[in-house]
Amino acid sequence: MKKILVWDLPVRLGHWLMAGGFALAWATGDSESWRLVHVFAGGTVTAVALFRLLWGIVGSKHARFSSFVRGPRQALAYLKSLLRFSPQHYTGHNPAGGWAVMLLLILALASGASGWFTYQELGGEWLEELHEFVTGLMLAVVGVHLAGVLVGSLLHGENLPRAMITGRKQGAPGEAIAGQRWLGAMLLLGWAAAGAWWLAR
Amino acid sequence: MKQIMFIALLAASAAAAAATPQQLMQTYTELAARQAPGYQPSARRGAELYSRRFAVSDKMPACTACHTDSPVQPGQHAVTGKAIKPLAPRAEAARFSDPAKTEKWFRRNCTEVLGRECSAAEKADFVQFLAEGL
Repeated sequence: MKKILVWDLPVRLGHWLMAGGFALAWATGDSESWRLVHVFAGGTVTAVALFRLLWGIVGSKHARFSSFVRGPRQALAYLKSLLRFSPQHYTGHNPAGGWAVMLLLILALASGASGWFTYQELGGEWLEELHEFVTGLMLAVVGVHLAGVLVGSLLHGENLPRAMITGRKQGAPGEAIAGQRWLGAMLLLGWAAAGAWWLAR
Repeated sequence: MKQIMFIALLAASAAAAAATPQQLMQTYTELAARQAPGYQPSARRGAELYSRRFAVSDKMPACTACHTDSPVQPGQHAVTGKAIKPLAPRAEAARFSDPAKTEKWFRRNCTEVLGRECSAAEKADFVQFLAEGL
């Protein structure tokens, strides 16, 4: 096992755009003075989540849904291995982390959709309530995700947040991805900017 | 304790389905009277609160920033430019008919414009002014 490139650039950029956008949108949600910042931040999260659906099909190996979406049995087996302090090692997402990814994507899209309809005043009061409920749920999953990253980092002896910055993680050389996917990263940035702008109109 | 009372009062008004502005004002008046016996809501004080400028938010220094000088007129969001229906139930019947919604927006907008939550007395004055005018 050595340090190899695991997360391509669109995965990392998308992750931090989503994290930053969610934090900003959460912080400004109750404020009318910050309403445009809120919808732009939420629009960014939504656009990134949509891009991630595509990237889960055409992205590099460890970005693909097929490489990390697993059934609940495997997710439970992984969590049990954590409890025994002998965690199963996965080069990419572990099966529990895969669940967090999918849940966060679904909740981000639900939050974005309900927020957009509320902002456009299509639908009414219940959509605003739904937006607040879904976003609260998303914050809870973010909390579980952060706890998982902390526990995983400690038990694997590997700095997982840093891996999401550099893209490099412990793994067998044959598991490495070939390149950063710069073109995909450019597409993501263009798409996120255009999507956020369109959703915030 | 105060909060429990308040939630109980709100729940009671919510249980009676949609509330009227008068019922809401009654609830706020009872709460205010607990702190200041003999308290009576005043449309004049409500109007003063509605138009007072607070040095808290640049873009939204007063209620009037979005709701205009007259609460029976349609307003416009000071930042997004979106149209806002009149705030006064005299002009827009759905206003102040839902206790939970009323509380939510008092909490949000008082915090933003006044820099603090509004007291029950202020809310009673405010609803009195909006429901009945000066």
